[in-house]
Amino acid sequence: MDSTLIPRGLERASFGKFLLWILPWAALFGVGLYAMYLCLADGLYHTNMDNRFAFGLWIYLDLTVIALGAGAFFTGFLLYILHRRELSAVINSAVVLGLICYSGAVVVLMVDVGQPLRAWFTFWHPNVHSMLTEVTFCLTCYLLVLAIEYAPIVLKNRRLRQVPRFLAFEFELHKVMPVLAGVGTFLSFFHQGSLGGLYGVLRGRPFAFREELGIWPSTFFLFVVSAAAAGPSFVLLTTWLVQKITRKQLVENEVFMFLGKVSGIMLLVYVFLKAVDTLVWINSTSPAAGFPAFEYYARTSFGTWILFTEIVLLGLVPALILVSGRLRAKPAWLFSAALMTCLGIMLNRFVMTIQTLALPTLPFDEFLSYAPSWEEVATFLAVLAYGVLIYSLTFRYTVLFPQERDLLKH
Amino acid sequence: MDSEHGKNARFGMVIDLDRCDGCGACMIACAVENNVPPGHASATERTGITWMRVAAVESGQEYPAADVAFVPMFCQQCENETPCISVCPQNAVEIDPATGIVGQIPQRCLGCRYCMTACPYHARYFNWRDPAWPEGMDRQLNPDVSPRMRGVAEKCNFCHGRLHAAKAKAAAKGSREIDPADYVPACVESCFQNAIVFGDLNDHESEVAKLARGADTFRFLSRLGSEPKVYFHSTRPWVKEMAESTLTRSKKENGHG
Amino acid sequence: MFPWVYGFKWSAGHLIFLSVFFSVLGTVSGSVVTAAFRSAKDLRQRTADAMRWEMEFEELPRKARSCRHEITGEVRHRTCDHEFDCRTCSVHPTFLAQAAATSRPEDPAAGTFGLAMPTDRLYHRGHAWVKPEGDGTCTIGLDDFGARLVGTPDAVELPLPGTHLNANGTGWHFVRGGERLRILSPVDGEVLKQGSMDQGWLLRVRADDSEPATRHLLRGGEVRPWIMHELERLEFSLGSSGVGATLADGGEMVSDLRAAYPGVAWESFCSPFFLEG
Repeated sequence: MDSTLIPRGLERASFGKFLLWILPWAALFGVGLYAMYLCLADGLYHTNMDNRFAFGLWIYLDLTVIALGAGAFFTGFLLYILHRRELSAVINSAVVLGLICYSGAVVVLMVDVGQPLRAWFTFWHPNVHSMLTEVTFCLTCYLLVLAIEYAPIVLKNRRLRQVPRFLAFEFELHKVMPVLAGVGTFLSFFHQGSLGGLYGVLRGRPFAFREELGIWPSTFFLFVVSAAAAGPSFVLLTTWLVQKITRKQLVENEVFMFLGKVSGIMLLVYVFLKAVDTLVWINSTSPAAGFPAFEYYARTSFGTWILFTEIVLLGLVPALILVSGRLRAKPAWLFSAALMTCLGIMLNRFVMTIQTLALPTLPFDEFLSYAPSWEEVATFLAVLAYGVLIYSLTFRYTVLFPQERDLLKH
Repeated sequence: MDSEHGKNARFGMVIDLDRCDGCGACMIACAVENNVPPGHASATERTGITWMRVAAVESGQEYPAADVAFVPMFCQQCENETPCISVCPQNAVEIDPATGIVGQIPQRCLGCRYCMTACPYHARYFNWRDPAWPEGMDRQLNPDVSPRMRGVAEKCNFCHGRLHAAKAKAAAKGSREIDPADYVPACVESCFQNAIVFGDLNDHESEVAKLARGADTFRFLSRLGSEPKVYFHSTRPWVKEMAESTLTRSKKENGHG
Repeated sequence: MFPWVYGFKWSAGHLIFLSVFFSVLGTVSGSVVTAAFRSAKDLRQRTADAMRWEMEFEELPRKARSCRHEITGEVRHRTCDHEFDCRTCSVHPTFLAQAAATSRPEDPAAGTFGLAMPTDRLYHRGHAWVKPEGDGTCTIGLDDFGARLVGTPDAVELPLPGTHLNANGTGWHFVRGGERLRILSPVDGEVLKQGSMDQGWLLRVRADDSEPATRHLLRGGEVRPWIMHELERLEFSLGSSGVGATLADGGEMVSDLRAAYPGVAWESFCSPFFLEG
């Protein structure tokens, strides 16, 4: 039915089977769209956020998907700037993942703010001291860059390529890719960082507040490094997952190993910096604001175990597995470590967003809890469904993994 | 500190916690003065808008030593590195150098709520719904204060409607200086116990400045370094201790948990 | 954002922030505009075919891009990096010199696996042959390997006389069952006359048949190993298409592959052998 759209030499499931796979996700996406409509048209009271818990699941989602989507900039940086040719096997996939993550985050942000039609105000009279201004500017620019990077992947489709203009444009776009990769890296550095700074600057939230290094809090740099660690791991995991679902080998094992190695090295650097940062915070920053650090953890739900899990179990352990060449060579270890890396970064974003808001600051205040409403969860799932849909369509109709055809089993 | 518009003021408050009996008249007066709509039927303590919120704090001791203090909590008008100003992406929060009042500009607000997470006093509120007044109640809206739309943040601004009225009155007399008697926020006016003293902290002779300098006066979360301009006063040792402590409540909670 | 916006303050922060922002916007839009302009220029100066070939060559399976000297066994491993254009390749002459020094006599008895590959012709990697006619013109046709892949087409779409062909550009199309298959042109030249499948040739072109102009075409002793290489690829393809290995050594290629394997998607299956990405 759609066989003339499928790239040559690639095996894809029948159209009916593809529809069966797509439909549940499309349905989930539809429910999410309805939830978004409720929030936009009716008001944010559909969420379970409130004046005390002003950021919820959505901000957590934004911080997480943007960290996971960092694979796009980091892979591009390694491929185009540092010329690690082996990564050309996953660059298309990394770009698609990046585009999904970033566009998903921007859409959710638009639902999250009370007056989305005023979003342009930030560009009109920006407060250059706000981390959110930096995030807004960099995110918008980077989404543009990702869209341009995604264009040649779509234009590669064999039907579109028959139009000479598309063909020539794609041909020339390939040549400016290193420039765009450079700009993308530059922008990513700043918005990954300023997303970290988002909480690090909160003087009024001593749990999140960190010392300033230059004009940015230390979390700025921690987020950059941790995103560079999580990105390759996420690309590795999704590629592996797609391999499992489609029962095909899509990239050579060396590519997995290289991604794992990059992720491991970045994670090791991150864990070290995070440990130093945590010690400084416990011993100096937090007490100076009048909050002995261990009081935060004197809670039944958020004990010191969360700190231990974040830094050691889901930080140091996967980092050591990934940097060890012997363990990395075993697929089970490699993929578990990549999963742990992603979970560790997700836990870090959870601690930064949710735990920060759950902890009281006023002496007579209580520990707060928050559970998202169905509208929030549906919107969250819609982003996931949207990602699966875009990825599936791109996988089916374009060459997402250039090595796939050479790796066909005979 | 003088500018071309006259002498710069630093408006502040001192609240006597020993006088406050928690009646809540200030909360009502505040909402009426500032056109805060009545809460929706489903509104909770955490979703309703209460620029002024009186919290009851128990001493935690057994009878007969058991005691309670009522703490009115609202925007503390932080002066130094005001947490909500630096975070706002589009300059919708500003501090007026002429009055020291931290102002919220709802017309410019995007509703991102970053300022709400930044505020250590939880003194900022978000319009989760469209504001609505029951039939008839809309007729007593304050014409000097514009109501806010859904999706923007708002907070106490020391009754800027009353400040403008006082300025207009002074201007009519040909003066740049407002008469302190003309500018009294609604909560101060409504307090039966006279627990709230309002005035210019820059004016060393004013009652508020004297009280702020006096003994047994403290501010909440002063170690954060944000220099709030709202002071509290109490001679009860446990109240002072509570204000200085950080997470006292948590220990009690843990005792239960 | 702009100095004329109400409340704008000239501070160092604004200057740095906004200049960075506008430089980024400038770089990004500049790159895209440059790409757009250059693509418009490309379309005027060179053919879309040439660009298409340059791009598609990169996307061909690695095995399809083997250097002719790898196929003949002169070098262990070499993938072509010159889009099969040996005329401007700097490595090709050194191989030629080497081959001249250690020339082995060709074995004319060694067949080409049951395929008719006459030695009076030059072969393009995309299975078109060129036969110099000695009067400054050449005839062009499809070799036996290609013919067996194509089978009996419903139609042949040949370029009209007067059309200028480019080596590695589109030569002509075969149509079968609604699908179109592109065959690359083996030489640069002007179409003089159209032939047909029955005549044994498809096009007569005016083309330079002297040495440097045809250097990229396979000849003589290269043809046998190349056909072996192509049969290997075919065997791999058939294996992965789910029809199983059927072309064991010693067997012969069937005369119409599509008729023999009706389950195989004809165009997608054949196009890699005609170097279509």
